[in-house]
Amino acid sequence: MANIITTSGLCKQYGAAMGVKDLDLSVPEGVIYGFLGPNGAGKSTTMKMILGLAKPTRGTITVFDKQVNRRNRLAILKETGSLIEALSFYAHLTGKENLKIISTLKELPDSEIDRVLKFVRLEDQKNKKAGQYSLGMKQRLGLAGALLGNPRLLILDEPTNGLDPAGIQEIRELICSLPKSFGITVMVSSHLLSEIDQMAGHIGVISKGELVFQDRLSVLHDRSESRIAIRTLDNIAAGSVLGSQGITCQEQEGYLLIPKLNDNQLAGYFMSFLKEDIGVVCIEERKKTLEDIFLELTGMVVKL
Amino acid sequence: MKGILLEFYKIRRRKIWVIILVLLGVQCLWGLWAFRDMNEKKLSQGYMQCLYHFTVLNTIMMPMVAAITASKICDLEHKGQTFKLLMTVMPAGKLFDAKFICASMYMVAVGAAQMIFIIVLGKAAGFTEPFPPGYLFYYFVITIFVTVVILSIQQAFSLLFSNQMVSFVIGITGSFAGLFSLFLPRNIQRGILWSYYGVLMPVRMNWDSQTRIADLQYIPVDWSSFWLLTGLFAVIYFTGRRCFIRKER
Ligand SMILES: Nc1ncnc2c1ncn2[C@@H]1O[C@H](COP(=O)(O)OP(=O)(O)OP(=O)(O)O)[C@@H](O)[C@H]1O
Ligand SMILES: [Mg+2]
Repeated sequence: MANIITTSGLCKQYGAAMGVKDLDLSVPEGVIYGFLGPNGAGKSTTMKMILGLAKPTRGTITVFDKQVNRRNRLAILKETGSLIEALSFYAHLTGKENLKIISTLKELPDSEIDRVLKFVRLEDQKNKKAGQYSLGMKQRLGLAGALLGNPRLLILDEPTNGLDPAGIQEIRELICSLPKSFGITVMVSSHLLSEIDQMAGHIGVISKGELVFQDRLSVLHDRSESRIAIRTLDNIAAGSVLGSQGITCQEQEGYLLIPKLNDNQLAGYFMSFLKEDIGVVCIEERKKTLEDIFLELTGMVVKL
Repeated sequence: MKGILLEFYKIRRRKIWVIILVLLGVQCLWGLWAFRDMNEKKLSQGYMQCLYHFTVLNTIMMPMVAAITASKICDLEHKGQTFKLLMTVMPAGKLFDAKFICASMYMVAVGAAQMIFIIVLGKAAGFTEPFPPGYLFYYFVITIFVTVVILSIQQAFSLLFSNQMVSFVIGITGSFAGLFSLFLPRNIQRGILWSYYGVLMPVRMNWDSQTRIADLQYIPVDWSSFWLLTGLFAVIYFTGRRCFIRKER
């Protein structure tokens, strides 16, 4: 599968600190790529660099197989729609007039405006001033603007920020339908894994400016398999019993963690513990949630 | 062209011309007040009187008109945080040019309105001085030119700083500097952008301290100052434009 966006060694320095460090992203065509990271990780900065709004300190960006530079960036961006950080709109103009400005600049017919307004379900409010829109409506207006001209690539920075659950659901559904119905590749950022989980096929996780994971989301799901935690009166002895049977285990906070086994196997090990006079205190099944993995990846695990 | 039309589209319902008209009205009333007692001498120098007084008034009022217009046209982008959006569909330099041309058109309109006011006043008050189309046109050109140069500095600050107080302070400071510099030697005046209304003025006042009579006369165009201002304009405009292009959003 061809990549729509590729960055290599992308860096952005702010003063002495690195906002983004040696980022190698690859966003495949026709997918929803979730760009995940905690606050201040560098998501917006990366997206701004891809859009040419900020100048990379080092590194290259390739979009649609063309390396982006100052001269060709607008030609490349013609096929791109974007929504970055806080919403951009003229409060004293109506929703329709706001879209008219972008469509004029992109040299699109007025029928495009009606099409996107319909898509984001704002037709009834199109003649209301954008300043009087609710947050959800503003968000949808921004999405409509990004969709003008049916771009091949959509870059959305936290498009559901500040919305209520219903609004989030609505925007999510709109985004999810894009690759299938229009063949649009979407790169969407968020600081919530649960949200990305419901939209994206591929994800990139960024933490403190560095990419810590990038692959299909299913790969991350595989990591979230469950494990068995056992506490015994003598964990060291129990560990060596397991080791002699070829089971790798690690000790953590007084528990032995072993991979999930079938019930018969497990029962067999308890028998051998008892034979060795090792008292078993507690057995539990532990499931790592995606959220745990995310926190681990981003190094944001809170150690109590 | 597209960009310029869009600038006018964006300032719909913002009623920029209202504040410009108010300032223009104030200036015209102020100008009228200078003509409250017309004697024969004054009527015989009517147009010179007009050009002289209006130049002084321009020094005070036009920098404010330029500052307000520039601020109104630029502020809406800061308020709407629309630079991020626009810069992905148009080059920053084009936006800068479009805004400048849009605002300049207002300045041309103000200059034209002043000219019309002077002509109407001349007819109504019955100036006995022969109508000087050349000098009037020259006045029209330099009023717009100086204002547009001031506009370019105002626009740069209005775009670069989201806080519009910065550009207002510059506008007001400039306007006072210009007024004050009218009493300074010519060479110092030429170093102050805001005093060029006076520097390029087509009329001179001769104050005869013995007879205590002020007499006005036309003077030839000061081309060296004109070209100096043109140079200043180019420097200011392109520095402002460059800073704007380089700024990250
Ligand atoms: N213009 C700037 N000047 C200086 N530092 C900046 C600037 N923009 C961003 N940064 C820094 O770069 C880092 C990354 O910021 P960025 O806005 O990209 O984070 P983010 O991942 O979008 O976070 P959030 O989820 O809060 O939006 C932060 O530490 C921030 O302080
Ligand atoms: Mg951000």
